[in-house]
Amino acid sequence: MSFVRRYWLGAVAILASGVVFLVPFAFIILTTFKDQKQSALRDFSWPDGNHLWSNILEVVTTRNWMLLTAFINSTILTVASVTLLVIFAAMVGFVLQRRKTRFNGLIEFLILAGLMIPPAVVPTIWLLQGIGLFGKLHGMILIEVAYGLPFSIILYRAFIATIPRELDEAAIIDGARPFDVFFRVILPLLWPVTVTNIVVQSVAVFNDFTNPLYYLPGNANATVQLTLYNFQSQFQTSYNLLFTNIALITIPPLLVFLFFNRQIVAGMTAGAVKG
Amino acid sequence: MAGLELKALHKSYGEVEVIKGVDLSVTHGEFVVFVGPSGCGKSTLLRMIAGLEDITGGELWIADKLCNAVEPRDRGIAMVFQNYALYPHMTVYDNVGFGLKLAKTPRDVRDQKIREAAKILQMEHLLERKPSQLSGGQRQRVAIGRAIVRQPEVFLFDEPLSNLDAALRVDMRMELAKLHQDLGATMVYVTHDQVEAMTLADKIVVLNGGVVQQVGAPIELYQRPANLFVAGFIGSPKMNFIGVTVESVVADTITVAGKDLATMAIPADGTGIKPGDTVTLGIRPHDLLNRAGTIVGEVMLVERLGNETNISLKLPSGTSWLVVLDGDHDLKPGGSVDLTFDPARAIIFGSDGVARHPR
Amino acid sequence: MAVMTETGTASAVPLPAMKRRSPYPGWFFLPAAIIYGVLFLLPTVASLYFSLTRWNLFSSTFIGFDNFAQFLREPFLIKGLVNTVIYAVVTSGLKVVLGLLLAVLLTSQIAARGYLRSVVFFPVLVSTVGVGITFTVLMHPTQGMINEGLALLGIKGPGWLVDPNLALFSVALVDVWKGVGLATVIYIAGIVAIPKDYYEAARIDGATSFQNFLYITLPLCRPATVTVIILSFIGGLRTFDLIWAMTRGGPGFASDTVASVIYKQYQAGFYGLSTAGNVVLFILIAVLVVPLTMLLNRREGHE
Repeated sequence: MSFVRRYWLGAVAILASGVVFLVPFAFIILTTFKDQKQSALRDFSWPDGNHLWSNILEVVTTRNWMLLTAFINSTILTVASVTLLVIFAAMVGFVLQRRKTRFNGLIEFLILAGLMIPPAVVPTIWLLQGIGLFGKLHGMILIEVAYGLPFSIILYRAFIATIPRELDEAAIIDGARPFDVFFRVILPLLWPVTVTNIVVQSVAVFNDFTNPLYYLPGNANATVQLTLYNFQSQFQTSYNLLFTNIALITIPPLLVFLFFNRQIVAGMTAGAVKG
Repeated sequence: MAGLELKALHKSYGEVEVIKGVDLSVTHGEFVVFVGPSGCGKSTLLRMIAGLEDITGGELWIADKLCNAVEPRDRGIAMVFQNYALYPHMTVYDNVGFGLKLAKTPRDVRDQKIREAAKILQMEHLLERKPSQLSGGQRQRVAIGRAIVRQPEVFLFDEPLSNLDAALRVDMRMELAKLHQDLGATMVYVTHDQVEAMTLADKIVVLNGGVVQQVGAPIELYQRPANLFVAGFIGSPKMNFIGVTVESVVADTITVAGKDLATMAIPADGTGIKPGDTVTLGIRPHDLLNRAGTIVGEVMLVERLGNETNISLKLPSGTSWLVVLDGDHDLKPGGSVDLTFDPARAIIFGSDGVARHPR
Repeated sequence: MAVMTETGTASAVPLPAMKRRSPYPGWFFLPAAIIYGVLFLLPTVASLYFSLTRWNLFSSTFIGFDNFAQFLREPFLIKGLVNTVIYAVVTSGLKVVLGLLLAVLLTSQIAARGYLRSVVFFPVLVSTVGVGITFTVLMHPTQGMINEGLALLGIKGPGWLVDPNLALFSVALVDVWKGVGLATVIYIAGIVAIPKDYYEAARIDGATSFQNFLYITLPLCRPATVTVIILSFIGGLRTFDLIWAMTRGGPGFASDTVASVIYKQYQAGFYGLSTAGNVVLFILIAVLVVPLTMLLNRREGHE
């Protein structure tokens, strides 16, 4: 490709991507700086004065600091469910890859089923009510674990296949019990794929809207996505506040994106291709 | 005291039997080498001793203790793997000390043992490194160090040198021999390289198809192979074989002749062999002499190395032989060459493949 | 007793095969199996029964296939079914085409490659609800930025989300906007994995860059294509949050999908019908995705 053509194409691509992908984000950011009156115009204009701070303050304090509660809930939900996911999925991936039994086929089928089948919501609610976990944060944590397991297991199993089995055997001969083999030899070696898992699943859980909508009703347990959804009707005329809210809950994924871009891309493609 | 005893050891995966009843007795301090072609079951046998494979039948005794159902860590063994299997996330120090740590050995005892092993293997300067920062030979040393600190009754080696380059392999081979002398421990060593087997072993076990073909000292296997398989497997280049017909049998001498061979009387055990039988005659390439005599063949290929000459020979029956003659011989492909050999150097194998060494 | 004496004597010569513990213990499956079994598999199995009932969480009356019959009778439910398939086909089709084009562009020697990859991928990580709300504002027929922009070019923009014939496609477009980054990244991985030798051989044979694309890139990144199709097709069939954030299935039932119907019936208290919707979605995915996967993978085998 010639030098000139290359840069010409590059310039067009940058311009097009700018219009298509960046303008919506620019619109969000510009709106967060506007006051209610200007934001009501919903146009792509420079804000008259800086109202960012008052907007943030108002969004955060609305409905008795609900957004703050939501951030706390979402953080607990994300950290707890991803921690459990990582450990439990790694354990399954390890034994599933290492030990060939006649159940392997069935287990693999169930994993693939989990990737495809939509969860049966009302029966799940019925079941959660039965065991007293409906509308509880810890119930929601377990739900996220259950729904995230298939993807994480597939990631782990593929990675464990690259760790030589001789390493397990060396540890066994060194006197390691199964527990030690896994937690002291294998798990530390899984670190790269664990980072990928943490990053991908954190984003998924943090951004999850559908499941909390079903299983976590009520304002006390609202997550950030639910809060945004609820604010949508409340802020119907206050676009400045609505978009401030959107901007605020985009910050965590943005940070993850800035620091872990590579792992996310690696994980999503690996999981997708292997799956 | 028996270091290691295998009694009718069997292993099968479902229907497939891979170890078909192995009996072996190893005295304390012996260096035993398992050799055989790939898939002969030598590694499986070693892994059964290690406890990495279940034993389907028979008994395994290590230091007079029945070990069939004993966990690997309690068998008094240590193992060195082909790919070293060092823990990538631990330093050399932690790699060597991992087993002791798991056994909850006190820190000071552990430290002392690690440093002792490092001293024996001259790798004290490597202790703080990670495996990825080591060369192949150094990794091998660490793997051996990890075995030494366990102070095992039996050391197990699974093709430990096959990932090293040729020069390093020779060095490590000598070091292993020295280590065996210094430690005086029982060692079981698996290899497909017969030079390693010949140079290291007190006792070689030749395996094929899950069956022990012969057990014996290296030179015994070379000079008195028990059957066609061992004769063909031990010794490099390979022993030459031809089919011949028995003309007469006198006690301890069998007279044979064939399309490729003029009549020759070979010292051999004639029990059960009668004139007219077809038997196999084996002769090593180095034992053929460039004198007019009993064999005439067409020269196909000549490699003149100066000190010796390798000739690829085609016999009248079409059989190919390799001949190694001392000194330089200016032979041309297409010409013919006359050869003979000392009858005492030849071995007669019956139709069952068993060698008929003279009694 | 008899057994004991027997093993006692037997151990002297032919020892019975004794199993040691496996170093890969089955109980490692246990935590995951319990959570997955109770919270995913059990409800899935239970849904097969509850879909045949009139149900209010406390009591259920068995009514056979009435719920399913209703699904095939009520126009708005059929509409949801048809919409779901259209949505899945449109989004996965666009993601394949655009993802492949973007990936080819972003693996070429183009300037600012890293920046462009980031820009295209970032929307994947943003909250779907946030994206939905943003585009609802941008797509407003008179005050939305999109139509204002089009007006500057002299084009009268359509009523993106208020036109019943267009609403579903508008949501699908936003879905593509948000999801094309993942398709692109999968394609990039596929294209990068193609050995350079092929392109060099083709260059010696005098291939143009379009021929390169047609005869090398396209066939050799087929696994990526399969992945993108399957992944976005399943995603499309299951889609809920974007539709719910943008149109709530409206106007009317114009952009309802099975997933939004499930939620609406749940809200209305028709739990049996809602669960039947779940089973319908499950069957729809099985009926469409399983043959699709087999078809795509079989063709791959022939090459």
